[in-house]
Amino acid sequence: MFVRVQSSIARAARVGMTITVLALFTTPARAATEADLEAKLQLLADQIAALQGEVAALKADRRVVVTEPLVALTPGESPGVGATQPGSATGQLSFSGYGELDYARPTDDSSATTADAHRMVLGVAYQFDDKTRLVSEVEFEHAITSAEDDGETAVEMLYIERMLSEQVYGRGGLFLIPSGLLNENHEPTRYYGVFRNRVEKSIIPTTWREGGMMVEGKTASGIRWDVGMTTGFNLANWDFNSDDGRKSPLGSIHQEMAEAQASDVSGFVALNYTGIPGLLLGASVFSGDAAQGQPGFNDNQITLWEAHARWTPGRWDLSALYARGDIDNTADINALNLGSPTPIPETFFGWYTQAAFQLWQRDTASLYPFMRFERVNTASQYAHIAAGLTPQSAPDQDILVAGFNFYFANGVVVKADYQYFDGNNDDNEPSNQFDLGIGYAF
Amino acid sequence: MSESHAGLFGVVGVTAAMTLFSPTVLVAADYLSVDAAQRSIFPDADLFVPALPVLSAQQKAAIAAQAGTQPAHGTLTIWQAMQGPARLGYVFIDEVIGRSDLITYAVGIHTDGTLSAIEILSYRESHGGEIRNAKWRAQFDGRRGLDSLNFRTDIKNISGATLSSEHVTQGVRWLVALWETALSPS
Repeated sequence: MFVRVQSSIARAARVGMTITVLALFTTPARAATEADLEAKLQLLADQIAALQGEVAALKADRRVVVTEPLVALTPGESPGVGATQPGSATGQLSFSGYGELDYARPTDDSSATTADAHRMVLGVAYQFDDKTRLVSEVEFEHAITSAEDDGETAVEMLYIERMLSEQVYGRGGLFLIPSGLLNENHEPTRYYGVFRNRVEKSIIPTTWREGGMMVEGKTASGIRWDVGMTTGFNLANWDFNSDDGRKSPLGSIHQEMAEAQASDVSGFVALNYTGIPGLLLGASVFSGDAAQGQPGFNDNQITLWEAHARWTPGRWDLSALYARGDIDNTADINALNLGSPTPIPETFFGWYTQAAFQLWQRDTASLYPFMRFERVNTASQYAHIAAGLTPQSAPDQDILVAGFNFYFANGVVVKADYQYFDGNNDDNEPSNQFDLGIGYAF
Repeated sequence: MSESHAGLFGVVGVTAAMTLFSPTVLVAADYLSVDAAQRSIFPDADLFVPALPVLSAQQKAAIAAQAGTQPAHGTLTIWQAMQGPARLGYVFIDEVIGRSDLITYAVGIHTDGTLSAIEILSYRESHGGEIRNAKWRAQFDGRRGLDSLNFRTDIKNISGATLSSEHVTQGVRWLVALWETALSPS
């Protein structure tokens, strides 16, 4: 409609100009009689009056609040017009991915230096209709997956999401547990340091996913809530002779929905608040029986809870997290494995504080030095068996990490850091370590 | 045919093509209608007239340079907010990619260049929907010029909705650059 108005006004203006030009340049030599001129002038005056009426009518037409149809800039005038289609169109297929490669050099033992194509993840999402979508991710770790290599291929996510209302989504399938700061945001561009922090690796087994159903809701005041029922851990998978359980108690017995034992159901609740710009406060609890009906295991409730905060005032990015896990009724199981190198802990915990600062930024490039202090204990307490038989709890492991993230393009980061270990553990102190890495996410 | 006429016919053609061929946009969550967004941003306006800026290549380059990095955009529509014969400013309804789907948002720029709060019209994915939070959207209110629209330092990040909050901020930067280049009265 506006185009038509513009065209009509332009036409009126052109006619008006023609009239003016005619009036100025008509010469006496070509003029007819005075009466003819008067007649012509009258005709022109009538035409002007008619045009004025038309313009007035058009102006009156415009006094309507226009909401539809929308009129767009031509393609190319907006930065990406035409580059994407509206997101929820039925049948839309989209791809995503992230990956990281790293180099780690222990300062005490250069022979243990490694270089690793650590992980490559490909994501595929498909929109069935405006409310229903598939989300999936496949992960390749350590470059090669074969019988002779350490690499693995894993389905990291595979769920159907359905919009239940404007603010509530339901999910069914294999999805990430909303625990901590990293588990749902684990792409290398989203955390500081070459490697994920120890707390969210050893205590919260990032990338932690379970199979089941969950509901996620958000309010306009900035509260996000999550609640779900899922598969859980399987304590029968505990290996008393490997150090996997000492590195990550829950990481060694999570099932990742790989033919998971599922006779016991776990549940979780998470709350996060982002109502004040720049601030995130959140907490979650996950709990379920890990006996899974396996012989020798009974009522082995595992509970993991955590609380986290992140605050980004100005150029600062400050965060902190505390996580703690408990495993019930382990005394009898440990008693059957006395003397084994890795008994099942009753409690384990970790916390960290981290500060990063945007030191430099230009266009898409930015530099963030950071420092993080972590304290982790994967076996802070064992269930009491009997005097002299109860395993000794492990000492706290402190880690100080300092380094930088250098983002040189949107979604691409180069990282370097140095990890200093102070384990209060003279017998088994990890070496300090220098790390380099490159990561991407799209 | 003059350049301005070519531009005009181009707009007519695109408009006709949109009308005829644009698929029905299925929107997962519509929070606000176009009409409601217009009235929320310019409550004193009695008329919203579509605006059709036609940009030269130099203007496009200038906007891109000023705005900085941009996410993928969808459709942009612009209205002049009128109160009688006076133009109060412009309403922009733009779409930027969030994480994997488009976010439809609205922002107003007053005649003196100050921004309104932004409004979220549609959000299409579960991830990152925190940008609907009123306090986050209000961060744009009263800001003026690109120097006041830096992500993180001026417009705070939302942890867990980083891509959505960053991309909307970048989109608003493009709109401010467009306004400064082609629509500013001065």
